[in-house]
Amino acid sequence: MPMYQVKPTSGGDIKIDLPTCMYKLPNVHASRSDFGEHAHQNGEVDPAMQALEARQDEIMRRLYELKAAVEGIAKTVTTPDADLDATTIPQQGSASTVLTGTSDLDSLLGKDPGALRDLVINAHPSRPPLSLLVLHSLLCQRYRVLSTVHVHSSIPAVAPPLLTCLGPRHSHSYARQHFQLGFTLIWKDVPKTQMKFSVQTMCPVEGEGNVARFLFGLLSPGPREAAAATLSDAWVDTALFQLSEGGAKERAAVLRALNAALGRSPWLAGAELSLADIVCACCVRQSGSAPSAPPNVQRWLKSCENLGHFGQAYALMH
Amino acid sequence: MTNEEIKGAAAEEDQQAQSKKALKKQQKEAEKAAKKAEKQAKLAAEQHGVDEEDFAQDRYGIPPMVQSQDNLDRVLVRVQELTPQKAEQLIWVRARVHTSRAKGKQCFLVLRQQQFNVQGLVAVGDRASKQMVKFAANIPKESIVDVEGVVRKVEQKIESCSQQDVELHIERIFVVSQAEPRLPLQLEDAVRPEGEGDEEGRATVNQDTRLDNRVIDLRTTTSQAVFRLQSGVCQLFRDTLTNKGFVEIQTPKIISAASEGGANVFTVSYFKTSAYLAQSPQLYKQMCICADFDKVFCVGPVFRAEDSNTHRHLTEFVGLDIEMAFNYHYHEVIESITDTMVQIFKGLRDRFQTEIQTVNKQFPSEPFKFLEPTLRLEYTEGVAMLRAAGVEMGDEDDLSTPNEKLLGRLVKEKYDTDFYVLDKYPLAVRPFYTMPDPINPRYSNSYDMFMRGEEILSGAQRVHDAQLLTERAVYHNIDLEKIKGYIDSFRYGAPPHGGGGIGLERVTMLYLGLHNVRQTSMFPRDPKRLTP
Repeated sequence: MPMYQVKPTSGGDIKIDLPTCMYKLPNVHASRSDFGEHAHQNGEVDPAMQALEARQDEIMRRLYELKAAVEGIAKTVTTPDADLDATTIPQQGSASTVLTGTSDLDSLLGKDPGALRDLVINAHPSRPPLSLLVLHSLLCQRYRVLSTVHVHSSIPAVAPPLLTCLGPRHSHSYARQHFQLGFTLIWKDVPKTQMKFSVQTMCPVEGEGNVARFLFGLLSPGPREAAAATLSDAWVDTALFQLSEGGAKERAAVLRALNAALGRSPWLAGAELSLADIVCACCVRQSGSAPSAPPNVQRWLKSCENLGHFGQAYALMH
Repeated sequence: MTNEEIKGAAAEEDQQAQSKKALKKQQKEAEKAAKKAEKQAKLAAEQHGVDEEDFAQDRYGIPPMVQSQDNLDRVLVRVQELTPQKAEQLIWVRARVHTSRAKGKQCFLVLRQQQFNVQGLVAVGDRASKQMVKFAANIPKESIVDVEGVVRKVEQKIESCSQQDVELHIERIFVVSQAEPRLPLQLEDAVRPEGEGDEEGRATVNQDTRLDNRVIDLRTTTSQAVFRLQSGVCQLFRDTLTNKGFVEIQTPKIISAASEGGANVFTVSYFKTSAYLAQSPQLYKQMCICADFDKVFCVGPVFRAEDSNTHRHLTEFVGLDIEMAFNYHYHEVIESITDTMVQIFKGLRDRFQTEIQTVNKQFPSEPFKFLEPTLRLEYTEGVAMLRAAGVEMGDEDDLSTPNEKLLGRLVKEKYDTDFYVLDKYPLAVRPFYTMPDPINPRYSNSYDMFMRGEEILSGAQRVHDAQLLTERAVYHNIDLEKIKGYIDSFRYGAPPHGGGGIGLERVTMLYLGLHNVRQTSMFPRDPKRLTP
């Protein structure tokens, strides 16, 4: 360890007139050089040096932590809604899901049937429901979700990315009982995205927007403010009917409206991320208008991406 | 005396009167006969006369029975190859007379070859005489004929034939094998969709008549399609498994001990002792696994002495059996089997569409739907779904047949698939060699597969440890002496393994959405039928 070995720059016998107002310490250099020599002869490591090393490691570790934290904050700065930030959700999830998850689902989806509650979503491979994939990613943080992808016999073949769009297979997927929620995506020849849950008590939910509303309901239980909820719903409809299905003029109009709304608040329906943001962002990306979008929309798209839940959905568009 | 005489005289008179009457009658009859003879002679003379004039004499007739006298260099064209590309060509065809209809100087024959048919026409002209037309019209249905004719395009599509764009203008016709004029069943009746003929008073043929005259019934387009598709199932099963590295094995069918319990086995006399017909190749499949064949399958007959007369039970059927060693989890086995099934379904969907359509004409059904990878539900989920639908059953009760059907409908409604796996059955309802679940000992590593709500496969991870197997057998009160051979095969090291078996007839029936397994068994065996 030559780094710590410094030859004394002055002789040990210099007399210095020390002030009395300070603490007295033994001469570090004099005693050390002897001790160090001795340690090297025996091939041992100086405990003091070890302590120093440990301190240095500790400092480095704290520096890395600090760096990570700063990066996190940087993300938060560009992402207005700090509450729903990617770094906060998992902590909240891991702490509370195991305890409250099941009871939450009880209140949301009815009494525990004693078996896996499986949501079945049918979608056409030519129109992958991106917003549902984002919601799936959010659900995975809240609950233990068993995700499976199937291809229905009405579809001859699908592109490989569509088969892995719900992420890699869960390593414990052989035990269905261990999961709180099933998310079964079936690529099928259907005119509209469709969701089925309980065939006896619930009619199928038709349309990507409605399925998205249902899934979002599983994420944020409790009453929502009526005005905000309506605003959010309106944006969901706008996105699906005018961005996805509308012509170039309609799309341009929607982008202008989005830009104006995003100039007033960080997210579409107020200060917090809502379903409106998820569905609109997906539709903007899916319609291919993202590169030419106005500045507020660009900034907001970036914020959405920073949440870390859009990756798998966007991966399907290439 | 006098009385008697009078009586006698009266009798005599009576007799005389009678004989007079008889004489008159005889005379009349003689006259009639004479007239008839005259007529016949006239007719014969006429015919003879015409025969002499028949320019087409050697263009028709019944040649001597084919005893391989000659080896003609004649090329016979298949009916299915008769397309507009062959127009104006003079060709030979061998086919059956499906129907014939004479109309004045013309006779229309529908010539059939398996599921294909074409319209043939014999018309009086410079190639065919009046007599030839008459001869053609009188050939009994189902006779086999050799015809030579010119393929001609038609302006209007012939809707009743499979070759719709062409007809055959027949120039020569010879009967190779004549059918008896009275058929036990009419082919048109045998392919008529159920219920359609009811209003018009047309007949449909019932199951027993069909099976009694199976040779004729098998000639129908529907039967042809069913058994071609069944052959496809077998072929796809073999191909898929061979590609997966499985080895096809043959197992003995005469065995010394009942493989699964002893209740439903056939006993056969075996020299001085008796033997059984194999209920399943299970033991032998497992022995092959212990003998390091790793992955095996076999296709062969399986016998069940069950006196059940249902739409889905046979006493002999073709079993398609799979057994394989796995690495860590028996779901590897489930994945192999379900993938094989999916490959079969896909192959049928892509390669047998015409056959499926043909069967659908007579027996309409929804197309078979499936998911890839196959949906796997757990038993408890199935029970929960049934309970939600109002069925009362215990956690560890076996599924009754109606409940299986109901569950099939529920699964179809939610997942829209006709094929799924139900996994993790309660241990109590499975055979002794089933491996118990590692976490919950009340459940087991076993599974059933369903097509259209009917069970087609029952399988499990098998116990591969002699010790545990003995314990399970004792628990089930099975005589250890009887299964000693079975247990012993696991004493010298056995890899963890699992498998299952499906019935070919059932799979074909359920894939096509038919309602009776006898329709998909060529010569079915059930408790009431041993022939043909």
